[in-house]
Amino acid sequence: MIPKLCYFLKLLVFIILNNLILKLKLNIDGLLVYFPYDYIYPEQYSYMLELKRTLDAKGHGVLEMPSGTGKTISLLSLIVAYQKAYPLEVTKLVYCSRTVPEIEKVFNIIYIFITHCIINSYFKIAFQIHFSSVKYLSFLALRFGKEVDGKCHSLTASYIRAQHHSNPSQPVCQFYEEFDAVGRQVPIPPGIYNLDDLKDFGRRKGWCPYFLARYAILHANIVVYSYHYLLDPKIADLVSKELAKKSVVVFDEAHNIDNVCIDSMSVNITRRTLDRCQTNVETLQNTISRIKETDAAKLREEYSRLVEGLKEANVARETDMYLSNPVLPDEILQEAVPGSIRTAEHFVGFMKRFLEYLKARLRIHHVVQESAPQFLKDIYEKVCIDRKPLRFCAERLRSLLRTLEIADIADFSAITLISHFATLVSTYSKGFTIIIEPFEDRTPTIANPVLHFSCMDPSIAIKPVFGRFQSVIITSGTLSPLDIYPRILDFRPVTVASFTMTLARTCLCPLIVGRGNDQVAMTSKFETREDFAVIRNYGNLLLEMSAIVPDGIVAFFTSYIYMENIVASWYEQGILENIQRNKLIFIETQDAAETSMALEKYQEACENGRGAILLSVARGKVSEGIDFVHHYGRAVIMFGVPYVYTQSRILKARLEYLRDQFQIRENDFLTFDAMRHAAQCVGRAIRGKTDYGLMIFADKRYARADKRGKLPRWIQEHLTDGSLNLTIDETVQLGKHFLRQMAQPFRQEDQLGLSLLTLEQLQSEDMLQKIAQIAQQA
Amino acid sequence: MDEEPERAKRWEGGYERTWEVLKEDESGSLKASVEDILFQAKRKRVSEGHGQVRLGMMRHLFVIIDSSRSMEDQDLRPNRLTSTLKLMEFFVEEYFDQNPISQIGIITTKNKRAEKLTDLAGNPKKHLAALKKAVDSTCVGEPSLYNSLNVAMQTLKHMPAHTSKEILVIFSSLTTCDPANIYELIKTLNALKIRVSVIGLSAEVRVCTILTRETGGSYNVILDESHFKELLMLHVKPPPASSSSECSLIRMGFPQHVIASMSDQDAKPSFSMSHLDSTGEPGLTLGGYYCPQCRAKYTELPVECKVCGLTLVSAPHLARSFHHLFPLEAFQETPLEEYEGERFCEACQGELKDKSVFTCLACKKVFCVECDLFIHDTLHCCPGCMQTDRTS
Repeated sequence: MIPKLCYFLKLLVFIILNNLILKLKLNIDGLLVYFPYDYIYPEQYSYMLELKRTLDAKGHGVLEMPSGTGKTISLLSLIVAYQKAYPLEVTKLVYCSRTVPEIEKVFNIIYIFITHCIINSYFKIAFQIHFSSVKYLSFLALRFGKEVDGKCHSLTASYIRAQHHSNPSQPVCQFYEEFDAVGRQVPIPPGIYNLDDLKDFGRRKGWCPYFLARYAILHANIVVYSYHYLLDPKIADLVSKELAKKSVVVFDEAHNIDNVCIDSMSVNITRRTLDRCQTNVETLQNTISRIKETDAAKLREEYSRLVEGLKEANVARETDMYLSNPVLPDEILQEAVPGSIRTAEHFVGFMKRFLEYLKARLRIHHVVQESAPQFLKDIYEKVCIDRKPLRFCAERLRSLLRTLEIADIADFSAITLISHFATLVSTYSKGFTIIIEPFEDRTPTIANPVLHFSCMDPSIAIKPVFGRFQSVIITSGTLSPLDIYPRILDFRPVTVASFTMTLARTCLCPLIVGRGNDQVAMTSKFETREDFAVIRNYGNLLLEMSAIVPDGIVAFFTSYIYMENIVASWYEQGILENIQRNKLIFIETQDAAETSMALEKYQEACENGRGAILLSVARGKVSEGIDFVHHYGRAVIMFGVPYVYTQSRILKARLEYLRDQFQIRENDFLTFDAMRHAAQCVGRAIRGKTDYGLMIFADKRYARADKRGKLPRWIQEHLTDGSLNLTIDETVQLGKHFLRQMAQPFRQEDQLGLSLLTLEQLQSEDMLQKIAQIAQQA
Repeated sequence: MDEEPERAKRWEGGYERTWEVLKEDESGSLKASVEDILFQAKRKRVSEGHGQVRLGMMRHLFVIIDSSRSMEDQDLRPNRLTSTLKLMEFFVEEYFDQNPISQIGIITTKNKRAEKLTDLAGNPKKHLAALKKAVDSTCVGEPSLYNSLNVAMQTLKHMPAHTSKEILVIFSSLTTCDPANIYELIKTLNALKIRVSVIGLSAEVRVCTILTRETGGSYNVILDESHFKELLMLHVKPPPASSSSECSLIRMGFPQHVIASMSDQDAKPSFSMSHLDSTGEPGLTLGGYYCPQCRAKYTELPVECKVCGLTLVSAPHLARSFHHLFPLEAFQETPLEEYEGERFCEACQGELKDKSVFTCLACKKVFCVECDLFIHDTLHCCPGCMQTDRTS
């Protein structure tokens, strides 16, 4: 199983741009590009052309190209060639991907790509290893990143190290000391480093791989890491703020980038958070009073520093050193910390008051939704807290924790969260909403108050990225409709293009099933979703498909509840039993361990000829990260249109905001969101040109032009009028025919010249014309 | 496939999208249709296998026929089982016609079990009778690939190394119910040098892909009945022998057919040895073939002597296997535009309309695609060359 710590995965790549052993040399618009394969797909060539244009214009781009057509390799080879040709224009490639398997995939491609280069990387798990090597900590089984963090901090913080000088018995981290002493002067040998390589390197040299990686990131030519290192303000501040301005940033699999942005800026506060915060405050208070007795000078020193203001940070920003942090607004940097929270006791008192206020707000029995200004007004009236001190809350807390020399910062996550909330709520009057729900909608009797401080504008989090880096490329297999991303992320792209897949045989077969054999319309529309006939028809569809599709079928439902209801009712009707005669059935649940178990068994069943069906949920783990290559997914069935749960208050607020700010109608956005998830789900089955699969959209609403038109172009292209609004019978006939045709032997020679080109073929005139048609400007 | 003359009635045909057939050239060659690729494959078959390769002429073939529930599917008329069995009869005849010194055995699998319909034997009659009888059997349950391969393997593994050991699976179902890990079995089959080929009746199943790839067989899925027949006929030709199979001299008997003349009063009708175990048709005959070693009498050839185990064949049998070893060389393909000369096929006298024509390298006569296939698949000699031979 993939360890949970993967979240922390970060990979860096150094590349020496020489000694490339590559096979194809292409001339892309005057740029010499090395390509590591003998053949190239026409769409890759077209993609590189567009990419080159984007880089030339030093602007941002939105590019859609189907999965399995070699996006990553095209991106890498072009940008590296560009780096080589214009070393002053582009210094660094920052490649962000979403999940660990994807990052690893990129990594393997880099290995193929370059033989003589370096990667640098680190895993926080590196700490585990290096801690256990320190004897007296070896008994600690550190399982959570946070704990590791805290431990690390307690050994490497500057004051601890200062104490170590005077008192050698104070434990410090040998690895860090070593790195600090020599690591920065010695250049890292060029090469590709992934997590393990870096860990090995660190162990060999006796350097801390974590700090090594943070240092190395500044010198790497290619950095591969997760979105969060760039988008989440808390982490980006640590890791990415010193990245050079002349970098090219690529967001791969970016179809969900707006949600990542929103998540990184939103804060959820429950009663438990507040309770933990309460203890934090008490600890702070105790520490302060203790320090006051022993070392009052320290507190005084901090006070005067605060009077000076955060000038240091301001200077840094003006000289354009850092990626700006959206949690740290500009005004704060120019002003001194207000007097009311300057002394430590006053600040703690202030936090206490704020906390009490929040507690009072959570004690309500009805749902409240208000804007940030309303909240500020209310807080001023009730507990006389001004807007200004709130704004400085996050900075002030950080300063205090530093002054108090609290080593174990892991425990203070609750109060840090609250302070972030305070800063955000007072800084942004627009783009956020506060929703307090006393209970969950599904369990109205159990009190579980939650304060959602929800970001509605994804552009806030991503704005610094667009602002700082000269080129940002957003790319994915499913970005349609292309015009919506620039709108919701609020940026001006210079290129917007969608590429199709050139195929030697039509290996994808999208079918829209609208009716059952009894002509009853199939739809997951809210009014009819409980209808007996609809459920039965869905069951019949799956039953019929299970009889004709070999090996694996993946079926997606719109939600867990819907899936549970349908499966229960199939069981009662005996449909499930009939299906099981053909294939085994596995179900995705909300439990990650259970799901990965089911996945494993599913793959086994596909492998040994038993055949299996995986029932899963759109927007679930399976739909986002798992690929079903070849026999693992010969058919994907999408039961219903995966609309998001529209009754959610957060969503409603966001829709309203989109309408007011970006003139995007609610319905447009909802459809867009549903269709991108549907496309994502069905796209799981086709992972390359030799792959093939049926894509079945089982809802009559897909046949409508507004839905159909929002599918990616490479799917739409194969969706003829003849495959709309089919009955189950017709689907079975078409599917059978398709599967038989696809089972015919297919060799590389059949592709050559059509969907696979050699250099000579690429240079012919009419091929270049054909290529020009592949890219469609939006 | 639409030009197929014996095509079923329109209303019997499946749901089809006739407009798509017209569409394929719309966007140029980008959308090369599957038919095109198939045509290429057809040609390749002719050109492949030529040249001097050693062929396994003595074949031991087990045909495994899936008789599971899915065989009742009516996409082949009247259903898959009947259609398959009918084609199998044809196959068995053709097989013995082309491979007179080989043997065949038939296994069926249903209800998770495998059952031997006929044992390995060199005489088509018994197989044909068994196949005819099997038409009435019901199709139930799931097939078991493992069990049936195992049954076949138990017999095949005792066969001498110089023979070609093959299994042909006709697999209709998309699932298999196996008692153990099939990948282990595939390894064993590979070690025993048993070649497994699969003809799928519905779609490509992963386990079959692996099975055929590992054991060196071929895997095809049928498109329709005529394609099915074509694929089945592919297995009539002996496969190339693996280089590791040992060479050995094989003793064979060439008995003369002796007919006691009616005038000979001493002649008494006698039973054939092959009737010993079969209960049907008691045949008292006057003449027959007598084993040169032990004088046992048989009415038909080829056969393995029941008494001394000698393989009894007739000279024409061996001669018929001969053409596999010296196949007709492939004709040269030229596009129609480049061809200058009279546009008539030498064989059928029809007009040359296809996009390429085929020229015999020896006599420079020109043929159309269909005739080219016919000459290479059936005639095994060029009519043009034969004519010139005779005239000269």
